Amino acid sequence: MTAGVAETPGIEARGLVKTLGGKRVVDGVDLVCHAGEVVGLLGPNGAGKTTTLRLCHGFLRPDAGTVRIAGYDLATSGDDARRALGVCTQDDTFDGDLTVRGNLAQTARYFRPAIPAVSEHIDRLLEQFGLDEFADRRPETLSGGYRRRLMIARAVVHQPKVVFLDEPTTGLDPQARVGVWELVARLRSEGLAVVLTTHYMDEAERLSDRLVVMQWGRIRATGTTRDLLGDVVGEHVVVVPSGNPGADRVEAWVRARGGRPSLVLSDWHLALDAAGLAAFVVAFPDLRYEVRPPTLDDLFLSLAGEERLQ
Amino acid sequence: MNRPFRSAVEWQSRAILGRHLRVHLKNWHTAMLPPVCEPLVLLLAFGVGLGRQMTALQWEGRSLDYLAYLGPGILAYTAFMTSFFQSLFSAFMRMRYQKAWEGQLTTQVRLEHVVWGEALWAASMATAYSVAVCLVLSGFGLAGLLQLHWEWLPVVVPMLFLAALAFSSVGLLFTAVLPSIDHMGLPFFLVIMPVGFASSTYFPLPDVPWVAALAQVNPLHHLAEGLRWLLLAGKPTWHLAWAMGLCGLLLFALLPLDLRLLRRRVFGDV
Repeated sequence: MTAGVAETPGIEARGLVKTLGGKRVVDGVDLVCHAGEVVGLLGPNGAGKTTTLRLCHGFLRPDAGTVRIAGYDLATSGDDARRALGVCTQDDTFDGDLTVRGNLAQTARYFRPAIPAVSEHIDRLLEQFGLDEFADRRPETLSGGYRRRLMIARAVVHQPKVVFLDEPTTGLDPQARVGVWELVARLRSEGLAVVLTTHYMDEAERLSDRLVVMQWGRIRATGTTRDLLGDVVGEHVVVVPSGNPGADRVEAWVRARGGRPSLVLSDWHLALDAAGLAAFVVAFPDLRYEVRPPTLDDLFLSLAGEERLQ
Repeated sequence: MNRPFRSAVEWQSRAILGRHLRVHLKNWHTAMLPPVCEPLVLLLAFGVGLGRQMTALQWEGRSLDYLAYLGPGILAYTAFMTSFFQSLFSAFMRMRYQKAWEGQLTTQVRLEHVVWGEALWAASMATAYSVAVCLVLSGFGLAGLLQLHWEWLPVVVPMLFLAALAFSSVGLLFTAVLPSIDHMGLPFFLVIMPVGFASSTYFPLPDVPWVAALAQVNPLHHLAEGLRWLLLAGKPTWHLAWAMGLCGLLLFALLPLDLRLLRRRVFGDV
């Protein structure tokens, strides 16, 4: 492989725009993911994550913008672009008339050039994904976790350079989720560019090298978890139980500073920078509260709060 | 060749066709029953059972046994019905409930290949079922009940394939627009079954001007009559040319429309 090819991003989407049903659901989105990198695409429901992925794997045609997969333009060199791409959709979309092994073998037939020694390759894949003992069973007889494994194995059966995982762990129990995490880590270590969407903050933090946060069809923030939390949420989160004496003044204090406190169960959550925290400490010397670093949950709550105000 | 029709001969359409064949062959022992048993039962019940109660039937100035009339009719009817069953019922299940289409579309296979794969599969199944009907008919021949001009078989089979391909484009149109499986009865009982029976397949059409006018634009009527002339009298007629022309027209008009409607349905987009 030449240096030039090695530097080509696995996926490079620029200026994606899509209007569906009169609403602009994706509005100028850029998405880049390099080989050996995991990019987490985050955002509240309806932010445009799945539509962005669907534009990137050709289910939808963008109104504007370009998508390049391994350097191939999806619009003009669709066949080459699709050869380099694996997709694990949100829903299970395997072929119910075929066995687990049959699903992998049949999917491999949907790609050209075909991979060499496909039968041995599928045996290896079944073993790596822990599916070998279910190879001759129908997919619908598997548990949720193993179905997801099959979906991911199917997405990489043709040895793509890029893989999209749309909410790969939604609905799985904790043990199955960890199993999927290990698979994602393996795909990254094998040099694939991995783009995943998720609602789980711990998952996004743990798996992603870089996060892209979407809101209202646009990129709201991008960067490492730490950078991103500082940009959108603030450096500190102050948690004040609303029943505490003096807590009733907290909301008014935050609003006077132009902030928006969010009430989670019965606690006020305030995102503050260093100066804000210092001012808070001075303003409420007798209040009992907790200060903690922000998490991606705070980011989501903050975005959801902005959405309610729209 | 424009885009929708060029996709028919691309490797991805063959890969989808191969998938359907592979799944079908896995269940060959149960899959073999309908194509053999259905015409056998129909020919015995109507052709022999009902036919014995009838005086000879008048067709184009000839006197015919009902079994002889029915044989070519069942051949056309089988191609018609099998194609609809596959392109409507089976394709709808794969699209809507099994989500197999969506899985196929995450590969190098595009929607036009999936749709062509379904159409080619419906036509292949219809042709295979029709060949099974020919076997049953030849059995009646061996029993001395029916004499047909089998030398025309190499012409008959490709024509049945083309006709079935055209019928599948109608089936896929319903697949594209029907909201749910519960609505499947509407096209089946209101369109497909009435057309299937009232197309010179099971009985000669009454001599009524509007019926005769409708029959002129009905490809199944021309197919049944054309096959009847060919297999009973050994004579190719303009019916076959009409049948192929109308089928070609159906295919060229409907398949691009099917693709457009299915694109909207599957992707939620135009």
